[in-house]
Amino acid sequence: MSSQAVFVLFNGMAQGMAFFLVAAGLTWVFGILKILNLAHGAFFMLGAYIAYSVGGAWPASIWTFLAVALVAAAAVGVLGYLTDVLVLRRLRNVDYHYALIATFGLMLFCEGVAKAIWGTDYFAVMPPPEVDRAIVVGGSYISVYTLFVIGTGLALYAALEIVMHRTWAGKIMRAVSNDPWMAGTVGINVPLVLMLSVVASFVLAGFAGGVLVPNQALSPHVGASFVLYAFMAVVIGGLGSIRGTFLACILLGIVESANATFMAQYGGIAIYILLAVALVWKPNGLFPAQGTT
Amino acid sequence: MSEASLAAAEGRRSGTETRLGLLCLAVLVVLLFLAPGLVNPGILFVIGMTLIQAVFALSWNLLFGFTGLASFGHAGFFAIGAYFTGAALRYDFHLPFLAVLAVAGLLGALVALAIGVVALKRLTGIFLAVLTVALTEAMAKIIGFSPALGEQDGLGNIPRPVIDLGLFRIDLTHGDDYYRFLVVATVLIVAALWWVVHSRLGRTFRAIREDADRARFVGIDVARYRVISFMISGGTAALAGALSAPLTRIVTLDQVNWLASTQPILNSLLGGFTSFWGPIVGSAAFSTINYFTRGFPGLSEIMVGGILVVVILVAPTGILGLLGKLRRRALGKGGRK
Repeated sequence: MSSQAVFVLFNGMAQGMAFFLVAAGLTWVFGILKILNLAHGAFFMLGAYIAYSVGGAWPASIWTFLAVALVAAAAVGVLGYLTDVLVLRRLRNVDYHYALIATFGLMLFCEGVAKAIWGTDYFAVMPPPEVDRAIVVGGSYISVYTLFVIGTGLALYAALEIVMHRTWAGKIMRAVSNDPWMAGTVGINVPLVLMLSVVASFVLAGFAGGVLVPNQALSPHVGASFVLYAFMAVVIGGLGSIRGTFLACILLGIVESANATFMAQYGGIAIYILLAVALVWKPNGLFPAQGTT
Repeated sequence: MSEASLAAAEGRRSGTETRLGLLCLAVLVVLLFLAPGLVNPGILFVIGMTLIQAVFALSWNLLFGFTGLASFGHAGFFAIGAYFTGAALRYDFHLPFLAVLAVAGLLGALVALAIGVVALKRLTGIFLAVLTVALTEAMAKIIGFSPALGEQDGLGNIPRPVIDLGLFRIDLTHGDDYYRFLVVATVLIVAALWWVVHSRLGRTFRAIREDADRARFVGIDVARYRVISFMISGGTAALAGALSAPLTRIVTLDQVNWLASTQPILNSLLGGFTSFWGPIVGSAAFSTINYFTRGFPGLSEIMVGGILVVVILVAPTGILGLLGKLRRRALGKGGRK
């Protein structure tokens, strides 16, 4: 029993952190732009493909692996800049429905591009050799790569909290998020801040793609399967709140993992029940962000 | 979406134009009814699917264009109708076919009610967006676990129904006969939706779309009418799905995913969501595009996604919006916004 509980908690934490790596950029850009970027998962998927193309299926060491993830992050950041100039910038002052539908279209477009470039075959990427092994904790085998994912997720959360609440840049971003007009009148270059936020969000998506690519088989659908969890986490956590999203990701991960362990024949159903319960119980999310209604 | 284009799309036409429009519509319906004798079976199937997509798109647009809510998982409702009808015909539920259709629509409306109770109380569209997407994904999961629904392989070999009206029987087992039934059903559903949109109920929906706060101020129970709109929309989408099952004779999980949910959005926006007829025009236009580009598989996402983004950015009122603009310019009635 106890080893099973350890297994469920550990696996849930690992999945939760994987969700968080994807959801971080999503909630970040929502907090500042008030646009829910439905294409976020597609750019995560492009990041994973770019990492595969640059680094190959057998990364030489953990350092080349991380370097490849950073290359993917930079490449997706460039794509993010282009997307911002071509699409997102034009959506800032229109009804949010149009923004949702346009980013939905963008998502399909990216999936189509991935199919055209890489085909529909599945690819597999191995974890780097340093973490490609298992250790025994409390009677169950635990993969070191999942420990690495958990560590990366926690580090990312800490970094985002520090940037948002302890730095000058975070202060500027929160000012723009709360009231762009007022921020502009006190001399902040609002368009630049918005553009940099969008690029930062895409960089996070690309980085998540690079780090998580050994986690699953790589296919054009990997974005859609991941981003749904990310959306649910963002909605449960409170739109735009990094802390809420972080906790919601852990919750989702543990529920999903318990579901897979104890009711394997109905795997993947419990999180939808969790979503419904969370929306009825706390419709504004666990940590409603300021300035969002 | 200037006021002018909205007004132009929603009426204020002269009597002759209305009569001309009705005449075109009547000719179109007669042509559709005679189509089995005019075109080959392949094209007939495409026309039948277009009719179903048109009903599906109309159901989505009742929500978006007339009530101001966007569903991103409408394929879930479509699948409810399609799978229920498929199962009812294949396992012979001993229900008359018309009752099967009614139950399918009712099921869709009930699921919409359940979602409405969860989400519509405090509805920023983002909650509804995530919830409707989640509904569709959850449904796909449940179907994937159900051996009776064919799991991953889909539900095949669905027989076409025979309608027994007591006095006489209508045999729809032949494809052409079912197609004619489909035309009649589509016309009836479109007429019903037209009536809803132009009734007091439809005006209430539009008041909510224009300004929910003001609608509340004049005494409209906004949450309640949003749920009603969502139920009509979900029920109609399920009905579209129910009509599709005997036509295609197979129901698969391909109809329960994001791409399937985009189809009504795309058709409505392409045709013009500010007009009642927009989704129908969009469905016809899209089927035509699809028919002529069918040799290039894999590019469908690029096409669909690209068209969607371009339409939103360049021509948010769609084909009918553009035509309306041209018409006003031709008549010299202030083509500028």
